[in-house]
Amino acid sequence: MDPASQLPTLLGLAWLAPLVSFVAILFFGPRMGHHGRNAAWVATAAIVTSLLLSLAAFGIWLAAHPVTAVAHGSHAAEVDGHAADTHAAEAARVDHGDHDGHASPSDHHDGHHAATVPAAYAGDWYTLYEGGSLRLSIGWYIDALTVLMFVVVTFIATCIHIYASGYMHDELHDVTDHEVHLADGSHLHRPGRFPRFFQALSLFCFSMLGIVIAGNLAMVFIFWELVGICSWFLIGFYFERKSASTAANKAFIVNRVGDFGMLIGLMALWGALGTLHFADSTAAGVDGHAAVQPGLFSLVRPAESGHALQVPDGMVKFANASEVGRITTEYAGRPADGAAEVAARVRDWRAQGYGRWLLFIAGVGIFCGCVGKSAQFPLFVWLPDAMEGPTPVSALVHSATMVAAGVYLVGRFYPVLTPDVLLVIAVIGGITLFIAATIALVANDIKRVLAYSTVSQLGYMMLALGVGGWSAGLFHLVTHAFFKSLLFLCSGSVIHACHTNDMRKMGGLARVMPWTAGTMLVGCLAIIGAGIPFVIGLSGYYSKDAILAQALSYSQANPSWSILYYAVAGGAFLTAFYMFRLWFMTFAGTPRDHHVADHAHESPNVMVAPLVALAVLAIVAGWTLPGGFGLANLLEQARPIGTEATTSDTFLFGTLTVPAEHLSHEGAIHVTATLTAFTTAAAGVLLAAAMYLWRIISPATVAAVFRPLYSFLANRWYFDELYNAIFVRPVFAVASLASGTDRGVIDRFIEGVAWSARQLAGFDAWIDRTLVDGLVNATASATWHAGLELKKLQTGRLRQYVMFIVVGTVALFVLASMLFRAALAG
Amino acid sequence: MNTLATGLSFAATPLVAGLFDAPVGVAHYLVVGAILFTSGVVCMALKRNALGVLMGIELVLNGANVNFVAFSSPYLRGEGAASLGLDGQLIALFVILLAAAEAAVALAITLNFYNNHATVDIDRADDLKG
Amino acid sequence: MMSSGVILLPGLVAAVATAVPLAVVNWHSVLFLLFAAVACACAVAVVLADNVVRMAFYLVLSLASTAGLFFLAGAEFVGAMQLMIYVGGTLVLLVFGVMLTAQAPFVAIKTSAGDRVLAGMVGAALLAVLLQAAFRVESWRRPAMAAVAAPAATPIGMALLGVRVDEPAAGVPAAAVRSGYLLPFEIVSVHLLVVLVGAAYLARAKRRRTPRSIDVAASSVGPVVTAREAARSSASALVSGGGR
Repeated sequence: MDPASQLPTLLGLAWLAPLVSFVAILFFGPRMGHHGRNAAWVATAAIVTSLLLSLAAFGIWLAAHPVTAVAHGSHAAEVDGHAADTHAAEAARVDHGDHDGHASPSDHHDGHHAATVPAAYAGDWYTLYEGGSLRLSIGWYIDALTVLMFVVVTFIATCIHIYASGYMHDELHDVTDHEVHLADGSHLHRPGRFPRFFQALSLFCFSMLGIVIAGNLAMVFIFWELVGICSWFLIGFYFERKSASTAANKAFIVNRVGDFGMLIGLMALWGALGTLHFADSTAAGVDGHAAVQPGLFSLVRPAESGHALQVPDGMVKFANASEVGRITTEYAGRPADGAAEVAARVRDWRAQGYGRWLLFIAGVGIFCGCVGKSAQFPLFVWLPDAMEGPTPVSALVHSATMVAAGVYLVGRFYPVLTPDVLLVIAVIGGITLFIAATIALVANDIKRVLAYSTVSQLGYMMLALGVGGWSAGLFHLVTHAFFKSLLFLCSGSVIHACHTNDMRKMGGLARVMPWTAGTMLVGCLAIIGAGIPFVIGLSGYYSKDAILAQALSYSQANPSWSILYYAVAGGAFLTAFYMFRLWFMTFAGTPRDHHVADHAHESPNVMVAPLVALAVLAIVAGWTLPGGFGLANLLEQARPIGTEATTSDTFLFGTLTVPAEHLSHEGAIHVTATLTAFTTAAAGVLLAAAMYLWRIISPATVAAVFRPLYSFLANRWYFDELYNAIFVRPVFAVASLASGTDRGVIDRFIEGVAWSARQLAGFDAWIDRTLVDGLVNATASATWHAGLELKKLQTGRLRQYVMFIVVGTVALFVLASMLFRAALAG
Repeated sequence: MNTLATGLSFAATPLVAGLFDAPVGVAHYLVVGAILFTSGVVCMALKRNALGVLMGIELVLNGANVNFVAFSSPYLRGEGAASLGLDGQLIALFVILLAAAEAAVALAITLNFYNNHATVDIDRADDLKG
Repeated sequence: MMSSGVILLPGLVAAVATAVPLAVVNWHSVLFLLFAAVACACAVAVVLADNVVRMAFYLVLSLASTAGLFFLAGAEFVGAMQLMIYVGGTLVLLVFGVMLTAQAPFVAIKTSAGDRVLAGMVGAALLAVLLQAAFRVESWRRPAMAAVAAPAATPIGMALLGVRVDEPAAGVPAAAVRSGYLLPFEIVSVHLLVVLVGAAYLARAKRRRTPRSIDVAASSVGPVVTAREAARSSASALVSGGGR
């Protein structure tokens, strides 16, 4: 019953189960039942297996790491007072990888800490490449966050698989796509693609779980890209629609832009530190015994300095490479002494500030990838377009999981991020939050509203992480996953019933679709953070509270950045407004379009059941049970070592203080934050009710009064137009220039070469025909004519022959007598 | 005409007279042979009648015979000069024999030609012209 | 014409008689001259004659004279053979042929003037060459006049049997091997046999058939006739006084 070997096995199997389903459907999809109907069950079975394995792993984790209420004060004392090596031993568990992750642990038990089991397990299954200092491997890093994410992702994926098996029933037969117009004006008629949907969905689950379990940044990057590809597949599922295929390309390309930054970050880390692993790993020692290769966490927050963030030795040396080189050449014959000298000088160099830029760049670079993946400003333009995919895709990929991967990575990479990097993250998150919320105010497509809501909430999470709220941000990640997927599935249900996305055609659907309306109401309440202050609330209440509290704490510690707090508060107001605008427009009041209302019906049970399940979770996910079991406390188990304390740094943006998170849970900050959250949310709901439920204020009038602002927001801040002008058009111009060069210059040149070759060939042919053949023909002709002429000699007349004989004889005689006069004289 | 003949005969008399008392040598026989040969050749070249050609052939062979006999004669040579002797006469004999054979064959051919073409004009015999 | 000849001949004899005393005359030379003149004149007459029958006659005369020349040169056997085989056989055969083919149109076929001029020129050239060659060797001009016994028929016969019994001719060394003529004799015999057979075959009587090419324009003969009929008609024409 050793968690160190069981957890990797269970989670590894849970990770691979969707891959099996993917391969199976890839090869046998169309043959699975009638039109591939059973492909859905295969995929669902696989994801249910993953869920069960994840739950089993969760259970084992809880058994080994019981979730208790964390005492904030003692926790802080423990951090300061502990000896270095015990924490070091607990921080990263070194396991040598063979394929089932079995190894013999060496436990460092200590008496004065309650948790004697390690907080995280790390190891490798398979080494892809080992060269120089770089080791690329497939491995794991399992802590509470990993296990939690596994459960969340697999649970939501299960719900969505079940939902999609009903929602995608259109693909079981031939489909007439009304949004695709062919050249002759008719609609596209194509066979159904039911198995392909689940094939892509399985691959996506496999990739997402790969990111979650990844033990090193290289593996993260691999599955990062893989998730991007799956998203491309799924967005472009209806690829005959120009809008869908364009949206898929847009998503992928914009993600790639972010990945470029991520690569720079990866290069900075690898170049300076020589490793991409999160935790320490044991390599087969060259000198006989196992050598510990430090991972990123222990390099950046070494045990010796009490796990405080400092620029690692590698980066310092990398930044001061010239000096290091000078010392090395100085100690040319004595490398050991040279290394010692360098090591001694590193501390001074660090104090001088060498390597800080490298650490900053590493952090910002990795964050760039998250900007792309989690649709932050400025790379958020792809997420609303991604709604072209089927609704289950939007629910799973673009609300709960893939977009959360960015937040997850920031959370995972948190120990390496300096306060300056965190500020950048927070500011980006705040901007995103605000922009997206304002656009969602005026959007009419129900999925667009939810898409911008997703972007906005992701901004919330990034901001939370940036202001030091590690557990707040991840807490919101989990709760958001539940209620956002719930909201998307409900919207899918509505779209399925109304056959339209336009909210202006809906209204009064609560009567005909009670279950959908009810669960969607739960989702809306959750997202606005509804609850009874200081008593109880839905899941969003707790996570939003935590974020607001931490933001307030941060703005108090860094008064120049208090705009972040106001952004959060304002965002809460806007969120409440647009979410209830959505609910009122869709479900309340009188139907605006009777045609739609007449056809509307409740969804089948297979689609309603997941809604209910998610709604339940959306309500209870934030609750902490009396024993202390709850999401917040679970996350605390995964908190990276060193992040419990307040950190302060002065680098690029002045002195920044990132307050410890536990400080925001107590005292005035908590009260202020809770009240702010409640008031802003209530204000938003009331305003939305006034405009859309009670019709006191007319939305059309407001829009008319604020016409320029309205059109600015309705046109999505003209971001698409801006990017089109700055990036797309120049690229097209360069492309047309290149193609013009290719056609005009290169092709012309080649054609010219071909032309001259043809001319040369023609000339050669002429020579061959006229001269060579002519010569041959002339010879033949001359021979022929000579023969013809000589033929005339043969007259057949005897007398002439006689004459010739005689003449010849006489001539010969005369010649002989003249030439051989001397001989004849004798 | 009579006077011309008389005059010629008177003029030629000294020439001819010179021949009457001088001995005859090989050269004189050779002259005869040359004349016979030449006339035979001209006859072959001139005559359109196939038999005329044959006669020409006979003349040619005869001229050759005269030469052979002249060379073999012991009477016509100068002092110590070479001679063909009996060989010359034998050769002439063989020539006569072969001339006879050849004349027979040639005549057969001519008769055949005559039977086929109803003419002995050898100018008509140009089927082999090129 | 005849009268001029009658007057000319006695005149010539008289002139010769007065010019040359009879006692000094070399009768060998005189006879040689006579025979030579006849031979040459008749040879030239063969060429000049148009009538093929006259050509045949002149040829006979020429060859007969040639036989005389042979006698004068000491080759009696050859001369005899000339008369017997050549004149008596070959030429008779020729005359037979003439008779068989002598039709009125074919008796005197004329050649064109151009051909005659050309032939004359070529003949003259040939004659010139031969004549100048004849008089080139000095020893051929003046004989030694030695009284040498002429070879008789016996040595010829023995030579034909392969044995040479004659004395070596002048200029041939005594030890030289002289070949006999047995082999040529046999070959000629076979040759004659072959010729006999061949000629007989060639000239055999064939099925009567229409001749292939009849030159109507040249011979001015009427419609197609068979060879035999043509021969018959020509023979009758010949008998009836023929020729020009």
